[in-house]
Amino acid sequence: MLETKNIAYINNKPFEYENGEMILSFLRRNMGPEPVPTLCDAPNLEPFGSCRVCSVEVALDKDGSTRVQASCHTPITAGSYIYTHTDKMKRLRKNIVELVLTDYPADKFETDNPKSNELKKVAMGVGLDMAGVRYSPGENHFHRNGDSSHPYMRSHLASCINCFRCVRACDEVQGEMVLTMEGRGFDSKIVKGMGQNFMESDCVSCGACSQACPTGAISDVFESKTNDADATTRTVCTYCGVGCNLDVATKNGEIISITAPYDAEVNQGHTCLKGRYAFKFYDHHERLRSPMIRKNGNLEEVSWDEAYSFMVDKMNSVKSEFGPDAIAGISSARCTNEENYLMQKFIRAVIGTNNIDCCARVCHSPTALGMQRSFGTGAATNSVKDIKYTDCMLIIGANPTDAHPVTGAKMKQAAMKGVTMIVIDPREIELARYAEHFLQLRPGTNVALLNMMLYYIVSEGLEDKQFIETRTEGYDDFVRGIKALDIDKMEEITGVEREKVKAAAIAYATAPNAMSFHGLGVTEHSQGTFTVQQIADLAMITGNIGRPGVGVNPLRGQNNVQGAADMGAQPHQGAGYLDVTNPQINQLYIDFYKADVPMRSGWKIPEMFDAAIAGKLKVMWIIGEDVVQTDPNTNKVIKALSNLDMLVVQELFMTETAAMADVVLPGASFLEKSGTFTNGERRIQRVKAVVDPIPGAKADGQIVVDVMQRMDYDQPDYAPDTMLEEISQIVPFFKGVKWDELGDNGKQWPVPEDGSSSEIIHIEEFKRGKGKFFYHDWRESAEIVEHGDEFPYIITTNRELEHYNCGAMTRRTGNGEILTEDILLINPKDAADNGIKDGDMTCVISARGKVDIKARLTDEVKPGVMSTTFHFPEIMVNIITSDVHDSEAKCPEYKVVAVKIRKSKGEKRILAEEHGKELVGV
Amino acid sequence: MSENLSALSGRKGLENNLFERMVENAKLTGTPENPKLKALAEEYLMGDAVTYGTASFYDFMKKEHEGVKAHVCNGSACLVAGTQAKVKEKLSNFLKPEEIGYMCCLGRCHENSAFNYSETNYSGDAINHLDEILSNSNPALADNYTVDSNCERVLTDLPMTAEEYKKLFAKVLEKGRDWALEQIKDSKIRGRGGAGFPMHFKLNACRNESSSQKFIVCNADEGDPGAYSDRYLLEMQPMLVLFGIMTAGYIVGANYGAVYIRGEYPESVQVMSEAVAALDSVGMHGENINGTDFSFKFKIIEGAGAYICGEETALLSSLEGQRPEVRVRPPFPAQKGLFDKPTIVNNVETLAAVPWIVKNGGETYSKLGTEKSSGTKLVCLDSYFNKPGMYEVEMGSSFKNLVYELGGGFKEPVKAVHVGGPLGGIVPTHKIDELNVDFESFANAGFLLGHAGIVSVPEKFPMIKYLEHLFEFTADESCGKCFPCSIGSTRGKEMMEKSQNGGPKMDRELLNDLLETLEIGSLCALGGGLPLGIKNALEYFDDELKQYFK
Repeated sequence: MLETKNIAYINNKPFEYENGEMILSFLRRNMGPEPVPTLCDAPNLEPFGSCRVCSVEVALDKDGSTRVQASCHTPITAGSYIYTHTDKMKRLRKNIVELVLTDYPADKFETDNPKSNELKKVAMGVGLDMAGVRYSPGENHFHRNGDSSHPYMRSHLASCINCFRCVRACDEVQGEMVLTMEGRGFDSKIVKGMGQNFMESDCVSCGACSQACPTGAISDVFESKTNDADATTRTVCTYCGVGCNLDVATKNGEIISITAPYDAEVNQGHTCLKGRYAFKFYDHHERLRSPMIRKNGNLEEVSWDEAYSFMVDKMNSVKSEFGPDAIAGISSARCTNEENYLMQKFIRAVIGTNNIDCCARVCHSPTALGMQRSFGTGAATNSVKDIKYTDCMLIIGANPTDAHPVTGAKMKQAAMKGVTMIVIDPREIELARYAEHFLQLRPGTNVALLNMMLYYIVSEGLEDKQFIETRTEGYDDFVRGIKALDIDKMEEITGVEREKVKAAAIAYATAPNAMSFHGLGVTEHSQGTFTVQQIADLAMITGNIGRPGVGVNPLRGQNNVQGAADMGAQPHQGAGYLDVTNPQINQLYIDFYKADVPMRSGWKIPEMFDAAIAGKLKVMWIIGEDVVQTDPNTNKVIKALSNLDMLVVQELFMTETAAMADVVLPGASFLEKSGTFTNGERRIQRVKAVVDPIPGAKADGQIVVDVMQRMDYDQPDYAPDTMLEEISQIVPFFKGVKWDELGDNGKQWPVPEDGSSSEIIHIEEFKRGKGKFFYHDWRESAEIVEHGDEFPYIITTNRELEHYNCGAMTRRTGNGEILTEDILLINPKDAADNGIKDGDMTCVISARGKVDIKARLTDEVKPGVMSTTFHFPEIMVNIITSDVHDSEAKCPEYKVVAVKIRKSKGEKRILAEEHGKELVGV
Repeated sequence: MSENLSALSGRKGLENNLFERMVENAKLTGTPENPKLKALAEEYLMGDAVTYGTASFYDFMKKEHEGVKAHVCNGSACLVAGTQAKVKEKLSNFLKPEEIGYMCCLGRCHENSAFNYSETNYSGDAINHLDEILSNSNPALADNYTVDSNCERVLTDLPMTAEEYKKLFAKVLEKGRDWALEQIKDSKIRGRGGAGFPMHFKLNACRNESSSQKFIVCNADEGDPGAYSDRYLLEMQPMLVLFGIMTAGYIVGANYGAVYIRGEYPESVQVMSEAVAALDSVGMHGENINGTDFSFKFKIIEGAGAYICGEETALLSSLEGQRPEVRVRPPFPAQKGLFDKPTIVNNVETLAAVPWIVKNGGETYSKLGTEKSSGTKLVCLDSYFNKPGMYEVEMGSSFKNLVYELGGGFKEPVKAVHVGGPLGGIVPTHKIDELNVDFESFANAGFLLGHAGIVSVPEKFPMIKYLEHLFEFTADESCGKCFPCSIGSTRGKEMMEKSQNGGPKMDRELLNDLLETLEIGSLCALGGGLPLGIKNALEYFDDELKQYFK
């Protein structure tokens, strides 16, 4: 039997190998994780062959003459005999390590911990220490200086062994190419950039090099690789919808560093500077440590009991006087599924209203709605790992290398290697440099541009007729609209030459497998939902659905925004996306919650603000969302919140919103509680408490439960496993989800009763049966129609790598030293027209208000278009953003703001948290 | 080796070659300026560390090369000839110390005193005409060396003209790809670069790869001190080389042929470029060669001072603008080579034999030489011979005859000949009689034919110094990737040096361990090949060397 298969022998015992397998991998599978020592090998890097200590002897016949081969990069020859520990090999390894030790500082070697220092471990393994080095002292590199220029990254190259792992990690994992070797031979040394320090270089502080280094020569301020942690907890990152797994190291109950597990299916040993390094906010001195109630205009610390009593009394009285609809909640996409479920349950079952929403409203609500209309499910059709299988990536309205860095790095890796990429964006994002097709459209013209693409797919006869016929409906009406398009007009509207659009359309349609990714540049528009439907049209018309490497893949923003919506933190659908206005569903919820649940849809966030201004909404409870800083038209938000009878804000920090609250409740960070997050590829992953909540704070889920109990609802205390069990009974696609069975890498929903995971959905048929085509005409945003003449420039908002949303967490970490302020990106022509130079403060004025912001001249944006971020409360960019919303999902149009500009002296705002509520927005 | 960098560099390919542009930049001041490197990195979508790191690798691009105007050859032949101290001294009369650098080697082993000034090489008596050279009066100072043969002249016949090229290639086009490959196969020709790999294997493997793009790369980075046969072919027989490249391209379906010529041979670069222009003028270059649907373009690329670029994978990385660190294999170049596309890398001498093979038939060629080593071989003799020069001999012919008849014997007592470059074997004079000029004869006797450059070690030259030189050469030229070579060559050099200069004498066991580590542990032939000559010397010159051991 053995003869017929791929057999090779390890120390004379036969084993089966896989085709193309390298000897080292073969040895590891059959002898355990460390069959031979290695120094230059790393789990997420290509075989490199520099250290040679993994060498083995290989003979083609039993007892035949052998050759010495490095096991890491030598493929197995059928029937060969591999000898791992002959005297010759033992001698070779020892002699190589001896050479390495001749240029390794002896004092460091003495103190190195063999558990974390791979050189020391390998040296001990081959039976060598410094005393065993026979060479007399010669040339060495012990004098090389350290680099501590950067808030995070460190290097101490005296102990570098030139294994190139850091250089390869920077190239093969992150794709940044900041590290290289300088010189050659024995004197070659690692340098950053053009011989700079970390801070001066283009390093993005992803830490891949630090995690890769075997000796700590390249490290970080936390000494993540070599510190002597006493425990490690695996959990999931809080910073974006990618959902990186993190190994969080603690010592004496304190978090000391974070690394990325290599076996993580989501991030394979990689993560970004937010996930790896931006954790020190968790015990920052500004964390809220006590509940507070506003007394005589000031927030004063009170006991939990007092805060709860105050809240409950107020809610009860408002409910009895104005009815349950005078109360609303905003749940947090940064909280766990279980917490989101509880919050919506509280609002629905305890208060008795559907006035529950979450930040998905201001980001991907059009995705959920649009994809539900087209496919039946408002979530990614495929998985991020499909980037490996695709032939064409369409990136529209997303800047993944900044906002979803680990996924962005994977896309960049694929694009660099030549996978076709189409980028549609008003800004020349990093990926656009590598993309074969870059369509730099005017903000607000997505619908026009995608219609052009669809037009060319039809006119070139590139439709997948069979797919259209068997799996879709509505094609005839749709194609009638497409064929009637006036391409001359579309070209003028979008500002993109038709030939470029045509080439991109052909590339997408002719790729064997094409997948799309979209972000808020699609959704945060007045036609956001329609654009999502067009992206679905593109996938359906080309048959790019239901197999690896295809599909429609929204890049979800906040870490658990997928989960918040899944759990029912939205006013029109309850837990599991069930329609709250459907009588049968209503009965289901009534039975399940054992409470009276209303059948009318609740208010979406913008409607809540309108209702507050109108005096109809009296109480809001907002968890983990700084609506003042991040929702559009700040002055209106402030007006709405000011008009409430009671604003409850549950937060980690005194954010702009918390500073306006009547009740402030100190919640817990992701590091301090357990539960599950669902990432952008529908993957439900376990979040595990690494440390206890800081004194005075509580897990957000427990706070909600406390209030439920005080309002006489029978809800057990917060625990992720029992909560998940409850959820699995009401959310159809969570049916088979069990806390204990989620394992390290979670499961992708739908998870049926048998507990299986779903990497790809809509394989045989769509959730809604047939996929549905929709055609929509492009329409100019009301913002431009109404204000375009007076405010001739368009500003569009985006994100920077270093900061997350309102920045409440990231600004309180070393990230704040790397990127210190919001910046206005402006084309040199526009700058010149307005007398603005690089670095000048610029006053940006819209119909809503004005902000002063520092200008940076760049070709990243075309003339007429500007871009900025809203990470910093000192700027409060949302003072100027518009009040226009997506016509369908009510997602605000952050991406199209009509403005005018002038040079200004510019003074920064005074922070609300420093000067109190009355100064906000002045 | 980075797949990303290969692909990114490949986007602009050979036409707009990153490495070539770096070298061009370096020529202005001796090193490319950082802003230039940064701009190039940006243009090629790479991090600035990439171009910076690449430039720092090369002798003629690194920062220390700024302002260097003259280079003194420090190759083995000039070393044993003892001419270079005087060359440097004379140059110092005109140039500041920081304006004088080194090159290894200029291929002037037949007359020594070699140096390079302002992109021109000089040797022999030229050093005595420095004022003319420096005043730019273009003295006629080209070197002269004997070119002779005692057999069928495959490589040393009268130079081929462009018209003859055209006529012969028309025959290839007419007979077709299969026929051409068949001739190569029948000829049994093996690569002349040192490894002796049958040429048709690679051609066949590359031909079977399905790829819209393939490349032929001519390895003209002849770096072995003592060898100047490639220089001869590049400068005196350029059409033979180009013909071989184009034929290989025709066989495998490649449309580009890159000739990577070491920067130490400026004249070769010039002659080859002129030859390409001559082909262009007769319709034998570019689109539709000779009116057929076969298109082929040559690209002459000049190196920048790095011996390791003679290693084929390092050469490919160099051509891509990456640091020329040796790659792991697989993948082999025939599958994934230049810009990750199927690529044939062949040595100059191998390719130059192709015209004779297609003209006379592969089978005819196979009858030259021995059963296993067919054809002829170029052998270079250094200045210790009475008739220094370049000889074409039949494979399998008597080594003794070559040394004592063709070469006329030695001018003064010689104790050993170092054959096949720094990684070749050191043949004690008494062993010369036992050898034939072919791969097997040398290998069986514990030596290496290699590229067949011969450097004589005179009686008066201490063997320990020669061994130190070999370690030093390897330490200087090691790419720095694999631990055995990058650290081991330096430690070996130190051991040799200290043992002569009052430091500790050598521990024989430690040296043996080091040699074994280099030999079986190194990634490529640089570290792996160094021990051969050292071991030969230890075996045959123990009387002289034992005083340096404990």
